[in-house]
Amino acid sequence: MGDGGRAGNSSNSSGGSGGNNRPEWLQQYDLIGKIGEGTYGLVFLAKIKSNRSKSIAIKKFKQSKDGDGVSPTAIREIMLLREINHENVVKLVNVHINPADMSLYLAFDYAEHDLYEIIRHHRDKVNQSINQYTVKSLLWQLLNGLNYLHSNWIVHRDLKPSNILVMGEGEEHGVVKIGDFGLARIYQSPLKILADNGVVVTIWYRAPELLLGAKHYTTAVDMWAVGCIFAELLTLKPLFQGQEVKGVQNPFQLDQLDKIFKVLGHPTQEKWPTLVNLPHWQSDMQQIQGRKYDNAGLYNVVHLSPKNPAYDLLSKMLEYDPRKRITAAQALEHEYFRLEPLPGRNALVPPQPGEKVVNYPIRPVDTTTDFEGTISLQPSQPVSSGNAQSGGMPGPHVMPTRSVPRPMPMGMQRMQPPGMSAYNLTSQAGMGGGMNPGSMPVQRGVANQAHQQQQMRRKDQSTGMTGYPPQQKSRRF
Amino acid sequence: MAANFWTSSHCKHLLDPEEVDIVLPIDKERGISVEDFKLIKLHMANYIAKLAQHVKVRQRVVATAITYMRRVYIRRPMTEYDPRLVAPACLYLASKAEESTVQARLLVFYIKKLYSDDKYRYEIKDILEMEMKVLEALDYYLVVFHPYRALPQLLQDAGMSDATQLTWGIVNDTYKMDLILIHPPHLIALASIYIASVLKDKENTAWFEELRVDMNVVKNIAMEILDFYDSHKIITDERVLAAMMKLNK
Repeated sequence: MGDGGRAGNSSNSSGGSGGNNRPEWLQQYDLIGKIGEGTYGLVFLAKIKSNRSKSIAIKKFKQSKDGDGVSPTAIREIMLLREINHENVVKLVNVHINPADMSLYLAFDYAEHDLYEIIRHHRDKVNQSINQYTVKSLLWQLLNGLNYLHSNWIVHRDLKPSNILVMGEGEEHGVVKIGDFGLARIYQSPLKILADNGVVVTIWYRAPELLLGAKHYTTAVDMWAVGCIFAELLTLKPLFQGQEVKGVQNPFQLDQLDKIFKVLGHPTQEKWPTLVNLPHWQSDMQQIQGRKYDNAGLYNVVHLSPKNPAYDLLSKMLEYDPRKRITAAQALEHEYFRLEPLPGRNALVPPQPGEKVVNYPIRPVDTTTDFEGTISLQPSQPVSSGNAQSGGMPGPHVMPTRSVPRPMPMGMQRMQPPGMSAYNLTSQAGMGGGMNPGSMPVQRGVANQAHQQQQMRRKDQSTGMTGYPPQQKSRRF
Repeated sequence: MAANFWTSSHCKHLLDPEEVDIVLPIDKERGISVEDFKLIKLHMANYIAKLAQHVKVRQRVVATAITYMRRVYIRRPMTEYDPRLVAPACLYLASKAEESTVQARLLVFYIKKLYSDDKYRYEIKDILEMEMKVLEALDYYLVVFHPYRALPQLLQDAGMSDATQLTWGIVNDTYKMDLILIHPPHLIALASIYIASVLKDKENTAWFEELRVDMNVVKNIAMEILDFYDSHKIITDERVLAAMMKLNK
């Protein structure tokens, strides 16, 4: 591929040189386009040539700039995923190396949806809460996958709606897959303290003990994140939307704590005895303790009666003391999951015939980017709207011809409003399939334009996401 | 799985002893015998340990690196995968896998310091390239379990905490053989404890009997280790050098 000169002239088994500039292994896939971008690299959607019903998400890791070879994040992710096998955890199907430019590719089963998009669809498009069956099924499967990870001593550390994938149409329709193991850790006898490396959970889903400077990760930090996600599934709004303080080495996140305390009240030493030992407790004493927090009441925020089992489970996930916080295994046994509607395997389609099935949008695909991440320099031809089969274009950075034009929701731009782009796009994702029957075939012009507008960077919210319109929808609980 | 040995890729991929010391045809053509093959791997295990001392990583990283190196040569010929490059590349990869990343330039610096021989001389880009080839040769299975983890508890249970250092040293020596590719790590730990009890004249039969393990396997591993100690005495630098010569770049 492209940059063949760098790696020297050592024997190159992939033979990626000459006129055909894609290595052999890549030829088993038809590249559809780019679906995400993060600090580590790019994510592509592709189909397997031998089985075109099967879609694959390919995560390409950039070669690190400092001449440090394969990024340790990629190594850790491969290492864990190679050992993991569970229905509710994303499946690594292949790993490829391109020696020519020393890039690394991870191929996953593709998941069409994720909780970020599902929540957003309900909030911004259908303006209706997610039905009880779906919420419960999503949560149960998320906990089921997490219980598997935790019982195998793996902490995910970065659970957030965009990392919780849901399979699209096909045999596994509506099945939850926990994705993105870039920050995950085996926590049995680590050589380094687990908080090392500076990277931690996205601030909105970060557990209070971490915000207060705890150095050790436990499975409880994942459970806090699940609690936040549960509340978000219920209200369609992130539960604690703090402004992140940027800075070196784990700065004190005053605003995030403030948002939490406003809902849950200030933690007390009585309820959380080890609180006083946390490094940031002193800062907290000075900066926050002066403030008065009238416990607004979690039940008010999520609009649930305190007697509702859903509320009981949620409040146990949002327990301040990590040692008292409910575990994934305990949560799976909670009464909430034994009451109707019972959770099911296809979270997106309720078994009851009367229930309305929501058609979720499929992931936007930027079809102008190739595996190198280069945007094709084809003059953006004005595409006549009738030209549905415009798949194969000539030129060196050709996209594979697609026999079936991939349906795309109209108005892709709207799906990526500036400012709140991206943090959903870093995940890979689920089966193809047109869940959007009325949608239009891809028009290159539109895609190009959309691409320019999209800033697919893994920049976590913080700007532009603060003011949702006040919610006016009917409440189910 | 990552924390349970019995469901791990490590456990699933354990080999039979016959599968381990097979010289690939292309290496045979160069005149590399089984003895040479073993010697080179031993020499490279020592090389990794020496390098590791300089860049200051923990024993677990060393053990993982040596395991990677030994796994590589199950499938890849030494004449194409120069051990003098594979060794530092394995240490480099293991340092990332075990979360104590060592910089490649530091490795290059100490390689030069340790060996004046040009055949050992490799640059950063060579190590990075070999890192990828090693990953591929390992089929991306990176989790390795070691006897060290179980050791302190077993020793304490056996009332042999005073023999920790001795036993730890024996475990280190097991990496000079291919045992880690063949046996579950806890059995290697037990074999090391078995040898330590013999050396310390500690009567431990009852304790071993109570463990629910196949003592024949433990004793066989112990015998192998003792055999190795015997044969190790007659290994000379000349023999190692002669074996290494057959690799010639």
